[in-house]
Amino acid sequence: MILLGVISAALMYGVAVFPVDRYLPEASTVSLPIDWIFKFCAFFSVPILVYVNGLMLYFVVRYRHRPDEPMDAVGSPIHESRLLETVWTVIPALLLIALAVVSYLVIPLYYPTGQAAASAVTMEAIGHKFYFEFRYPGLTQSVMNEMHLPVGVPVTLDITSAEETTDVATGAVIHGFWIPEFRLKQDMIPGMVVPIHFTPREIGTFRIVCSEFCGLGHSHMWGTVVVQSKPDFDRWYAQQVQAGRSAAAGVAPINLAAGNAAAGQALFAAKCTLCHNAAPFAQRKVGPGLANLFHDPAHPRLVTGKPATPDNVVDILEHGAHGDMGVMPNMQANGLTAKDIANLVAYLKTLH
Amino acid sequence: MNEQSAPVGTVASHVGGHIHPPPDSFVKKYIFSLDHKVIAVQYFITGGLFFILAGLLAELMRAQLMGPNNHVLSVETYNEAYSVHGSAMVWLVIIPLLTGGFGNLVMPLQIGARDVAFPWLNMLSFWLFPPAGILLFASFLFGAPQAGWTEYPPISLQMPFGTSLWCLAIFLIGVSATITGLNFLVTIVKMRAPGMTYTRMPLFVWATGTTALLSMIATANLSAALAGLFIERTFGVPFYNVARGGAPVLWQHVFWFYSHPAVYIMILPAFGIVSEIIPTFVRRPIFGYKMIAYSSAAIGLLSFMVWAHHMFTSGLAHWEQLLFMALTMAIAIPTGIKIFSWVATLWGGKIRLDTPLLFVLGFLSTFTFGGITGIMLASVPADIHEHGTYFVVAHLHYVLFGGSVFGIFAGLYYWWPKMTGRLLDERLGKIHFWLMFTAFNATFLPMHWIGLLGMPRRVATYDPVYAGTNEFVSISAFVLGFSFLIFLYNALRSARHGEIAGPNPWGARTLEWMIPSPAPYYNFKDIPIVLSGPYEYGAPLPYANIRQDLATVPVH
Ligand code: HEC
Ligand SMILES: [Cu+2]
Ligand SMILES: [Cu+2]
Repeated sequence: MILLGVISAALMYGVAVFPVDRYLPEASTVSLPIDWIFKFCAFFSVPILVYVNGLMLYFVVRYRHRPDEPMDAVGSPIHESRLLETVWTVIPALLLIALAVVSYLVIPLYYPTGQAAASAVTMEAIGHKFYFEFRYPGLTQSVMNEMHLPVGVPVTLDITSAEETTDVATGAVIHGFWIPEFRLKQDMIPGMVVPIHFTPREIGTFRIVCSEFCGLGHSHMWGTVVVQSKPDFDRWYAQQVQAGRSAAAGVAPINLAAGNAAAGQALFAAKCTLCHNAAPFAQRKVGPGLANLFHDPAHPRLVTGKPATPDNVVDILEHGAHGDMGVMPNMQANGLTAKDIANLVAYLKTLH
Repeated sequence: MNEQSAPVGTVASHVGGHIHPPPDSFVKKYIFSLDHKVIAVQYFITGGLFFILAGLLAELMRAQLMGPNNHVLSVETYNEAYSVHGSAMVWLVIIPLLTGGFGNLVMPLQIGARDVAFPWLNMLSFWLFPPAGILLFASFLFGAPQAGWTEYPPISLQMPFGTSLWCLAIFLIGVSATITGLNFLVTIVKMRAPGMTYTRMPLFVWATGTTALLSMIATANLSAALAGLFIERTFGVPFYNVARGGAPVLWQHVFWFYSHPAVYIMILPAFGIVSEIIPTFVRRPIFGYKMIAYSSAAIGLLSFMVWAHHMFTSGLAHWEQLLFMALTMAIAIPTGIKIFSWVATLWGGKIRLDTPLLFVLGFLSTFTFGGITGIMLASVPADIHEHGTYFVVAHLHYVLFGGSVFGIFAGLYYWWPKMTGRLLDERLGKIHFWLMFTAFNATFLPMHWIGLLGMPRRVATYDPVYAGTNEFVSISAFVLGFSFLIFLYNALRSARHGEIAGPNPWGARTLEWMIPSPAPYYNFKDIPIVLSGPYEYGAPLPYANIRQDLATVPVH
């Protein structure tokens, strides 16, 4: 009993001082209380686990039927003990009540309630197959897959899901919006907008992971959140405003001849490999493999049914496509400029 | 099953009415049998086959996940594999084995009945089961379901025809489970031997009774949800598609209103098995019989009020989150009472560490761990981080594998002699246990960790930072798969070389051990009369109308 007590105490101490932050940064204000609750559970679980397993082992050794004992030997006839039964009902009950109360206090921290919410910046996060779209107040265009946030500024994120089509076969599905480092997760549910609330507290780049199965591209549905200092964020935001203005001023004509394959390759790695391999048509991720796009005898036509010419590929990159394999996002959704498209086509031409 | 010794006519005048002669055609005896013991064996064989298939799917998944960008399976096939693996393990393995298998084999014997209340319905229940399994596996030919065993719409609306077959398969299993529930409940209420009051029932009967009630009430909700999904997929009536006025969260509510009670449908019978094995091998009365029995009932009742704890990230109102959190925590209390009572029963016993008890101790260890992570998932804020990750995958395998499957193997080693007349080999049994226990923990323990660090479930590829852990997990999973081969070998071997068991090899005191092994066609020549509870080791047997010269001492 005493030995088990010592083991429990040592492990409980270990739980209490465990540096969670070192393994998974506690990068938002809600990370701290959520980790605290987790530790609270782990802390009180330790003695339960140690005593259940330890006593079990001890009893099995101590009360083992020995070969020299008669075959019909029986154990103690005790049927019950009010005291013991009360103890092991009441103690867990008290611990659970404590856990419930603590949890109750933490829930309001990540939902926008009261004052904190009033001062927060409200943005939208929208799940698509298979990328995340973010809408900022004051920006005419959306930002894809890469969310930028200023450190220390409270944010309310309106979370939902949408798709280009209302068709059942390709319509919106449930995604999950999860930033492990923020300890925040909310399902992105079509037809429902759920706000969550938090403040980033560490500068850095963290993953956004889709946590609800949403189809073929689910395994790859990753985004990033870039938490920046206020000046860095303002600079980024100004660039976005500028890009929005030029987009509104009309899409620049695409000059294919000026395409730069090297720049295209970098773009491809950043924006397309989520869904495409630079490999033959059949090596599909979400969309088809794109190597040999222009000269594949087995696929003389593009998914749009048009011949595989550079102009028709430009058309797909500008306006997107959706067919059997799912949705190919349009240039807005992919965050491409006219120059980007020229570079990408130049790069695609080099793939064999 | 040819042990019948007394001429059939001579017992006709006893309590319990007359006995029909056993059927003499092969088909009536072994295929369309009405005998609960034969039906039990049919469940074990069919469920066992599905266990092998679903287990192989799991091994394929682990082969794919061995490295971060493997191409062992295509993404579609991987999605199909985990969806069919989960569905099959829940509906074609654990539920049928625990209720159809053990419930049929043991419950009528333990209450001193000659069969269940409605033998024909019992046969019907079984015969709905193989077609359901065939439909589920046949879905691979038409594009199997990909959205996991929970098949959340809208994505499940967008999948090929196999998902409709999935609906049909699970619907059939649901009908089968509902009928069995009704059948068992009536049997337990109406057909107990004279003198067997509710508080003299063996605890396995308590567990089976509660399970039967849950199956009977809860399964209808699953059927409704499935019918909706099938109708929407086939005829386009919008239940779940928002664009046309449906609500995807509706499915989640109705599905979990069944599937949380189903968690207890999958664990209560295992609790029952544990409660039988412990007193037998510890040679003393079970500690806190009443608390264990009543906590089954409490769990049964509460299990209907906690379903939305699976939906804390589905946009519930705050008061709903609070309510379901509180109720979920409440259900941990009766579960804890059971665990503590079992451990306390070991205290002051004369313990024989035979294979069935080993599996029970394994169960206590792993299930307790699964219960603890369950509490972590019940706290809403903690769940926000854990939901939909490998932490949940680990938790559910600790309760369903560490709980139900360990319980199933404990029960198999324990009742094998009653089913077949022969004992399984102890040495092989012990090797099986230690290999399975070690490999189980090596497979599922690390999953908690990678889940907390950020690996979501239902993915065919993952961030390479989790590569090392996943490789270790995959290798452990292969060893875990291998451990079952030892059992298979042991089972086949016992048919020829197994030691002849005799009526009561473990020296137990419940009624199934008071008759020959395997149990004769009519179970009890004379219906026994029960004078007191079943676990009074050291006291004379509490039965009248039973051969009193039966030894109640273990053979080893
Ligand atoms: C969200 C996933 C996704 C992303 C990101 C994506 N695509 Fe696609 N793409 C698709 C899908 C799906 C298709 C096939 C659509 C169909 O079935 O009609 C497709 C089709 C195409 C095609 C037509 C191929 C053919 O053989 O007809 C081209 C070209 C293409 N994508 C280029 C790109 C480029 C370049 C990028 C990067 C800027 C990109 N895609 C980003 C999903 C994506
Ligand atoms: Cu997803
Ligand atoms: Cu549940």
